Amino acid sequence: MIPFNFDYFKPETLEEALKIYSSEWKLGKKVIYLSGGTEVITFARGGKMTFDSVIDLKGIPECTMLEMQGDDLVIGAAVTLNRLVESNHFPLLSKTVRTIADHTSRNKITIGGNLMSKLGYREGILPFLITDAIAVVYGPAGTEAMPVDNLAAAELAEGQFLTQVKVAASNLDLPFVSMKRTRSSKVGYPIVSLAALRKEGRIRIAFSGIHEHPFRSAVVEGILNDETIEDQQRIDKAIAKLPTNVTDDFIASKDFRKFVLNKLLTEMNAVWEGSR
Amino acid sequence: MHYGSRTTVGFAEQRIDAVEKSTGNVKYLGDKSFQGMLHAKVATSTEAHARIKSIDTSEAWKVQGVRAIVTGKTFPFPIGPILADRPPIAFDKVRYYGEPIAVIVADHPYQAKQAAGKIVAEYEPLPIVNSVEQAFQKDAPLIHEQSGQYTKLIDNVYPVPGTNIASHVKIRKGEFGKAWAVCKDTISATYSFNLSDHAAMETRTATVEINSDGRVIVHSTSQSPFTIKKIFNQFFNLDVGKVIVHIPMLGGAFGGKGAVQLEPLAYLASNAVGGKLVKLQFEREEDMMTAPCHIGFNATVKLGVNEEGKLIAGQYTFLIEAGAYSDQAAGITRAAALDCTGPYHIPNVWCDSYCMYTNHPYATSFRGYGHPELTFAIERTIDQFADKLQMDPIEFRLLNVIKPGQTTPTQSILTPNNIGDAAKCMTRAKELIGWDGKQPIVSENGLVRAKGVALFWKTSTTSTNAQAGAILKFEADGTVTLTSAAVELGQGTKTILAQIAAERLKMNVSDIHVTMEVNTQYTPHQWRTVASSTTFLAGNAVLAAADDAIRQLKRIGAVALQCSEEDLDVGNGRVYIKAKPDIGINIETVALGYKYPNGHTVGGQVIGIGVHVQRHLTPMDKETGFGDPGPWWSVGAQAVEIEWDESNYHYKIVKAVTVLDGGTIINPMTAAQQMRGGIFLGLSIARGESFEFNEQGVIQNPDLRTYQLMRFGEQPDEYIVEFVETPAEDGPFGARGIGEYGVIGAAAALANGLSLATNVELTQLPLTPELIWRTRRAAYDPV
Ligand SMILES: Cc1cc2nc3c(=O)[nH]c(=O)nc-3n(C[C@H](O)[C@H](O)[C@H](O)COP(=O)(O)OP(=O)(O)OC[C@H]3O[C@@H](n4cnc5c(N)ncnc54)[C@H](O)[C@@H]3O)c2cc1C
Repeated sequence: MIPFNFDYFKPETLEEALKIYSSEWKLGKKVIYLSGGTEVITFARGGKMTFDSVIDLKGIPECTMLEMQGDDLVIGAAVTLNRLVESNHFPLLSKTVRTIADHTSRNKITIGGNLMSKLGYREGILPFLITDAIAVVYGPAGTEAMPVDNLAAAELAEGQFLTQVKVAASNLDLPFVSMKRTRSSKVGYPIVSLAALRKEGRIRIAFSGIHEHPFRSAVVEGILNDETIEDQQRIDKAIAKLPTNVTDDFIASKDFRKFVLNKLLTEMNAVWEGSR
Repeated sequence: MHYGSRTTVGFAEQRIDAVEKSTGNVKYLGDKSFQGMLHAKVATSTEAHARIKSIDTSEAWKVQGVRAIVTGKTFPFPIGPILADRPPIAFDKVRYYGEPIAVIVADHPYQAKQAAGKIVAEYEPLPIVNSVEQAFQKDAPLIHEQSGQYTKLIDNVYPVPGTNIASHVKIRKGEFGKAWAVCKDTISATYSFNLSDHAAMETRTATVEINSDGRVIVHSTSQSPFTIKKIFNQFFNLDVGKVIVHIPMLGGAFGGKGAVQLEPLAYLASNAVGGKLVKLQFEREEDMMTAPCHIGFNATVKLGVNEEGKLIAGQYTFLIEAGAYSDQAAGITRAAALDCTGPYHIPNVWCDSYCMYTNHPYATSFRGYGHPELTFAIERTIDQFADKLQMDPIEFRLLNVIKPGQTTPTQSILTPNNIGDAAKCMTRAKELIGWDGKQPIVSENGLVRAKGVALFWKTSTTSTNAQAGAILKFEADGTVTLTSAAVELGQGTKTILAQIAAERLKMNVSDIHVTMEVNTQYTPHQWRTVASSTTFLAGNAVLAAADDAIRQLKRIGAVALQCSEEDLDVGNGRVYIKAKPDIGINIETVALGYKYPNGHTVGGQVIGIGVHVQRHLTPMDKETGFGDPGPWWSVGAQAVEIEWDESNYHYKIVKAVTVLDGGTIINPMTAAQQMRGGIFLGLSIARGESFEFNEQGVIQNPDLRTYQLMRFGEQPDEYIVEFVETPAEDGPFGARGIGEYGVIGAAAALANGLSLATNVELTQLPLTPELIWRTRRAAYDPV
């Protein structure tokens, strides 16, 4: 149970959401946005988060839409993971998000909540990082479109919230792999999770679990695409170029994470080989 | 229905709680709300080991709705079931992170929780004892300075003052030293694992109300209603008769609800608000961090054989991690000692079983009471030893398996009645798993298939006067209401008791109405619903009650039928003349007494009463362990087949086999389900469950996001359960206990299979891919 009182708002338009944010904020209140609520509730219950006002984004049509618009797939931030899996507009995304939590939780967890999660995993962002997806945010400065990369490590500005993610139709059906390893049960935070695809002969790849944030690295990609060196060498070299502070905790040691990554990259190569 | 042969015992009757549960209609204690009820919440320690300098409650008092704040000063005395070493609310010192330091009572739960967050404690940190190995070292910081002065509530607990040893239990059988010296070959190995959680679906809850006339009404999710009464009497000086305990159906327990923790807290809370009804319900994280958990374990096993490969000497050193307080870990220390050898005949045994304090949450009983743990150590050693001796591990087991005529570590003499047939279980498990010698099968794609087995036993270590009672009350329509204090916690006990009653009364099970709730005001005394003891104790009590009822039915029937009692039999809803079964009378016409046509009535309601108490149990001798601590040994064998992926170290459990000899099986369906549930729990613990502590002694995974239980879909594809039924002469219809057994060999069988597949000896739990990777790296490419 949440041990403090707060006001709950469920606006129906983007403007209204922002208006509520501003007016509450001006009163000196701590305001947060919410979509699936699974993290907000558990964090508030466990004393890891407090707030005075909550703005639920699930009533805003822009945030709940899921459709093709022209050349883009538009995914509302409040679309649940199960809806993404079932609609399967973007197979790589479906495959990636269905490894997050369990089915019952995925009825609630939303893609926006996952992308904006305070936990470091945010596996839902991986398919977007490698498809040059666009994050649409709304805030005091109006609607703003930015590369999804901007969300990977940085926070949004005061009052801003994610409304949609857009992926170009041409990137939806590329050959891909999505792989994840956990400590023991399938339901669990990743030791390593990766999503990769091939576009115009080049591998694009992004990772979660090995670092404090999910990431896509141009350097790592460069090495993995370097056909002048042989497979295993390429992998070893890529791993040597990882961010230096590889996560080291009770879920997995730093060394084991690197080992697992090595194996996953080998498996990935085998998949690409097989599909050739 | 026919007379003579059995009609319900041995049949797969539907569980009597099946409909209520599967429709979601069961009301658990946490679901219940009462008018005017207040809510309690605990404020907990943020240090694992520290002296409490002060506790400031002033900010907490400012929260609206707060009615009382109770700190350790209110009741600065230690309590406990075996050794009274735990103050219900810490005073002077805290000994684990998450320990209650205050209880707040408020109008609403959120207010109590908010106030709990505003309790400010000032601590003087003390050095932390962060592992059982550290606790055992000579210069380790002391967690209980006064352990020599604690009150002992039962026999066989021996604290060693000036150390972190809460109890030291010894077994000295034969002459270990001499035997060891002449062994043809020996082996020694050490095993360990951390504390873990019970993770019952229902978290713990208790409510307490103190009536103006002094009656204390407790509702609790407890396996031990009468222990609550006893503890309230011993420590709060309340009349036993004035403490009334209600237990509804529980949502799982696994031993974790045998401990008495919430009830004293709720009592102190209620007392602080003039006796008003107070509810204390733990959230998941509290259930994991504050409530008692499953023991941690460290064991060193040494075994020696003679020329023929027969075990002649065994030495066992167990460090049972109790955590901050001894609770049931003190009893587990004893239980592990008295069955230390596993089901093997070993003439010379030396065992030192230590109950160790650490600065971790305290442990209590967990399904198997020390046996899943010791079996892990024993059965891993047996496999390693067989390997060393170049024997097939199953043959090695069969060569040494214990049999009637031989004696246990405490020198109890085994008879065909008091022990099942372990060899038969092993042989059948071998067939069912398709044992093909000890060799893994490697497929082209790098998947390694291997099988592991484990043989196990366990006796039911109850108190020597453990007992149960039952009442069979006949209704006006001739049906029967069965009341006993056996707690239904998902194991199906109420169904089993109904079957036992129906069989003896020769009635339909559907005509036996079982009261689900336990109310100590009218249910007869029962020791506790633990230790796989209920079918045996309460089952025998039901039989005695049925016999009592039959006597009464015959007495009234003899009047009605104008014959002597000896002429009569009872069955099929009738009292009838044995020689002429068609002459008889329906039970409903005698259930409330027999009424003559003129209105005169003889007899009265038929109420059968029965009690059963353990026979001839004794405590153990302090120096040698000599004694008869348990009534019988159920035995079993388990086998697991795994598929390990050499490339990424992950594995899958393909098949799990359990063969158990628990005497007559009353209900094959519920029994098989109980075994499946057991092996699932055992495999889950072995695979991923374990509390992970940081340097400060804080649990890193105190929630179900990070504490890795085996999830649905990860269970073995194939689950085989079979029973060998060697009847126990003194069990109800020949039954022994089976409740805990499915869990016992699971970790050992899995670890044996994995050790074989990975070609390294795995000696720790949980068996994560990383553990295998590290073990192999240490073995094959030392840096
Ligand atoms: C059992 C379990 C297992 C899990 N396993 C994984 C896993 O393997 N991998 C993984 O990646 N995650 C995992 N998670 C975490 C889960 O994906 C995140 O907690 C997710 O953020 C929850 O989504 P939500 O929609 O419920 O978020 P919410 O609770 O609604 O919000 C989460 C955060 O995002 C903010 N927020 C929400 N929507 C917006 C928005 N539109 N704009 C700006 N900020 C916003 C909120 O303020 C809050 O801080 C697991 C969770 C559980 C319960």
